[in-house]
Amino acid sequence: MELTLNEKKLLVVLGPMGSADAAALAEKMDTRREAVVQYANLAGERGLVDVEKHVSRRYAPTEEGRAYIGKGLPERQVLESFEETIPMRDLQSHPLAKIGIGWMRKKGWIAIRDGVVQKTGNAAFGPDEAAFARFGESGAIADGEGVADLARRGLVQEEETVTYTVSITPRGRELLAGGLDLQEEAGTLTREQILSGAWKDLPLRRYDVGKLPKRAYPGKTHPYQRLIDEMRRVLLDMGFTEMAGGIVQSSFWNFDALFQPQDHPAREMQDTFFLGERWPLPAGYERVRDMHEHGGETSSTGWGGTWSAAKAEQCVLRTHTTSLSIQHLAEHPKPPVKAFCIGRVYRREAIDPTHLAEFEQLEGIVMDEGVNFRHLLGFLKEFYGKMGFEKVRFRPGYFPYTEPSVEPEVYVDGLGWVELGGAGIFRQEVTAPFGIEHPVLAWGLGISRVAMLRLGLRDLRQLYRSDVEWIRETPTYGGRR
Amino acid sequence: MAIITLPYRYLERLTGTDRQTIIDRVPMIGADIERIEEDHVDVEFFPDRPDLYSPEGVARAMRGFLGIEEGLPVYTVRPSGITFSVDPGLADIRPYLGSAVIRNVDLDEEAIESLMSLQEALHWAVGRGRGKVAIGVHDLDAVTPPFRYIASPRDRSFVPLDFEQEMTLDEILTDHPKGRDYARLVENFPRFPLIVDADDQVLSFPPIINGELTRVTTATKNILLDCTGTDKKAVMTAVNIICTALIEAGATVETVTVDGQEMPTLAPAERVVSVGECASLLGLPLTVQEMARLLARMRFGAEPDGDSRVRVLVPCYRADILHDWDVFEDVAIAYGFENFDAALPATSTVAQEHPIPAIAGAVRSVMTGLGYLEMMPFTLTNERVLYANMQREPSPGTLRLLHPISEEQTVVRTDLLPLLMEMLLSNKHRELPQRLFAVGDVVEACVTSQQVAAVSIHPAADFSEAYAAADVLCRELSLPYTVTESDDPAFLDGRRGDIIVDGRKVGVFGEIHPAVLTAFDLEHPVAALALDLTAVPGYPVPPGTP
Repeated sequence: MELTLNEKKLLVVLGPMGSADAAALAEKMDTRREAVVQYANLAGERGLVDVEKHVSRRYAPTEEGRAYIGKGLPERQVLESFEETIPMRDLQSHPLAKIGIGWMRKKGWIAIRDGVVQKTGNAAFGPDEAAFARFGESGAIADGEGVADLARRGLVQEEETVTYTVSITPRGRELLAGGLDLQEEAGTLTREQILSGAWKDLPLRRYDVGKLPKRAYPGKTHPYQRLIDEMRRVLLDMGFTEMAGGIVQSSFWNFDALFQPQDHPAREMQDTFFLGERWPLPAGYERVRDMHEHGGETSSTGWGGTWSAAKAEQCVLRTHTTSLSIQHLAEHPKPPVKAFCIGRVYRREAIDPTHLAEFEQLEGIVMDEGVNFRHLLGFLKEFYGKMGFEKVRFRPGYFPYTEPSVEPEVYVDGLGWVELGGAGIFRQEVTAPFGIEHPVLAWGLGISRVAMLRLGLRDLRQLYRSDVEWIRETPTYGGRR
Repeated sequence: MAIITLPYRYLERLTGTDRQTIIDRVPMIGADIERIEEDHVDVEFFPDRPDLYSPEGVARAMRGFLGIEEGLPVYTVRPSGITFSVDPGLADIRPYLGSAVIRNVDLDEEAIESLMSLQEALHWAVGRGRGKVAIGVHDLDAVTPPFRYIASPRDRSFVPLDFEQEMTLDEILTDHPKGRDYARLVENFPRFPLIVDADDQVLSFPPIINGELTRVTTATKNILLDCTGTDKKAVMTAVNIICTALIEAGATVETVTVDGQEMPTLAPAERVVSVGECASLLGLPLTVQEMARLLARMRFGAEPDGDSRVRVLVPCYRADILHDWDVFEDVAIAYGFENFDAALPATSTVAQEHPIPAIAGAVRSVMTGLGYLEMMPFTLTNERVLYANMQREPSPGTLRLLHPISEEQTVVRTDLLPLLMEMLLSNKHRELPQRLFAVGDVVEACVTSQQVAAVSIHPAADFSEAYAAADVLCRELSLPYTVTESDDPAFLDGRRGDIIVDGRKVGVFGEIHPAVLTAFDLEHPVAALALDLTAVPGYPVPPGTP
């Protein structure tokens, strides 16, 4: 048990007195009464002193009340200003007439007849006056008969007075008798004390670990960004090369190069954000045109009809990051290619808690000699497993640019099987025009869905219009939900 | 997406198995179960399989998948002797016509409902909203062959479905609900498509509305089908899907001669595919026999063609088989996705991160070190937030959405700072100080680049704080910079600086102008900065373009 210096000082002062009021102790110790109470409470917890709190209710005069002290209540002053009778008109010139006359009548001291005020002779000194008279002795009076009447008239107001009596206990005396070291405590350790070695004998003030510190908020990355970084890390760990590219894409790269027919519903303005801008077609676009019109050199029939170059030049906000994947493959047609991308994509959707017009998509592609459908499932299992989804299953799916196509589902406690993303092998109609000769395994997922599952969000908008409080309170390393 | 209602009793009768087996297994041919109800199940099928948009089509596929009836369904047709002529004047309007006669139909209210919903689903998936294909079914016994498909004057009149008086074709486009819905498909042509019989009675005004005369009811015994459109293949797909579904339901189909061509044949298409190619795509050790057996389960005709190929007969209703790999996917489905042994390939590659996310990562590390919280605002915003509130002139490279969905989101952001100001407003009730930053894409004139912006709001936020943060950021990103006085109206005069690198302005910092604070409804000073990350050494050239 290590006492603070202040507790020791308190015991030293209190010892000879045995018991004292905190205010008196404060005077002796040359400090504030609140400080003494704090030291006494600390010492009290150690059983060295007893602290007794007294609450007393007293009444102090109000501003009006103070004006009457020593002179008596207004009705008494007015009553004594005349003999047995006085004309009302004359009495009204008394400065306290307004208040006094009313109270004299109320108390039955006077009667008024034909404009003349007459004493009734019955004007005994009331309990209210007796109570009020006690102000002559002190600044405040205790509760008692008549005080309530004064309070009602607004002449006095209640005041709560708290006093503390501190008494030394036998244990305290024992400690005091053993002698106390009254050397000053230090608050901070100084450079000089460290250099000189003075710290060795320095009584450093002890701090109370039970008291919470002031709350500090660190700068930090967004919880959603941390999830994105985690996914990036998984894919980099798996040996994937990262892709990045523009938000604005020509319809050629967003749709045509992916064998999406020009009359596909996704290419209508209801689903996709179109821009007025156009972008020239790349060299060799004719091979894509031929693929659409008749299947090029492959076993495909193509979509038939006439392919429009003008339609392909229209710019859109990318509807998927697959537009970057196909450009990456066009630039790197030789195996092996393993690449991924995390980026924002756009759908023309009205915003509500589960739908946004923009969200992040993750996409991975693997192209190599001999890769096949089983490998696609293998990558999906591995990736989802690393993201914390241990159980994964697969169903047939449909995407315009993959064949076969897969809908992966992951098992989430409390939700059951949840569809998460899509996958497939790029159609030959997609790869052949760019001279890609080996299968391309591809998968993608909207990662805001994962964020909802992992961060426990009910409203996707929270990711993009974030509450500062939410970011401050979301732990940097939260483990997994 | 097409959601198809499958009544259990009818489906059980057609499939020959119980409802639970169907509900359990139907997702594995490629479907999402939407709702399981007392007497039916609603299932969503993919847009490439319009042949599954009817209970008959689903039963046909499920009988194969469950091994109840395998191989190619064989449909026979007899000639009806009925002829149809197509007016050459339709060549530029709506040139293609497919037709058939369907006899001995037995339609109760539920069956009519089912036929109508198949028609609607086909209009959506194959017809692209009736533009590419529109379908009409008629009570054959109400009219007299031969029929003519003509380009009619627009003032011709008839009684359209659900109406009692005659209307001209022009009136239908303005006054009939279907006319208003689909007017855009024909309104620019001088003449309109019309189908009439030998007595010049109107059957249909495709692709808008049928006549009341040939309404199909529970009393209808024989149906005349018309499919008109702008794509011959799609027209015949619709004919084939409807005819085969009605045959599955117990009807018989007869051909119609359209300009000398007898249709439909309902004959399969032949495709000879390589077993080796399929095996290597799927990663399965397949024999010719195994592959043929799996395809038979998917209702293909399939027989070995030598020891390395399979001759495949593709049913006439399968519109999705464009390429051999489409056949291979059906092999995979028949094999069962759940039976594949997932494996990782031997492919060896070395990871490489892209420089842009790497730079963004460095920015995050610097800004969080300075005590800033990251925000990830939307990239879509509006010109009020981006320019008017900031007292700035709109950038000439601003991209405007042609068809925005709300007034809040009409343009792509060209700057991040205004979006952070908006964030300060939405967090006005939260404890100060607030220091926020964002790093991300901005787009100008179709070119995507990256920016970082930061704001600090509290009673003592000032120029020095902004300058110190800008200085730290530039030093940490190895940007040798100088500063000149700025004239950016979003900032206070005398308390704003431009960041200059290689003679180019790449950023700005300072104290936000009080009028801008007021525009964002903020009550404390804001110290802010923005920096173009294309100036950072190692930033790839060119940045993201379409």
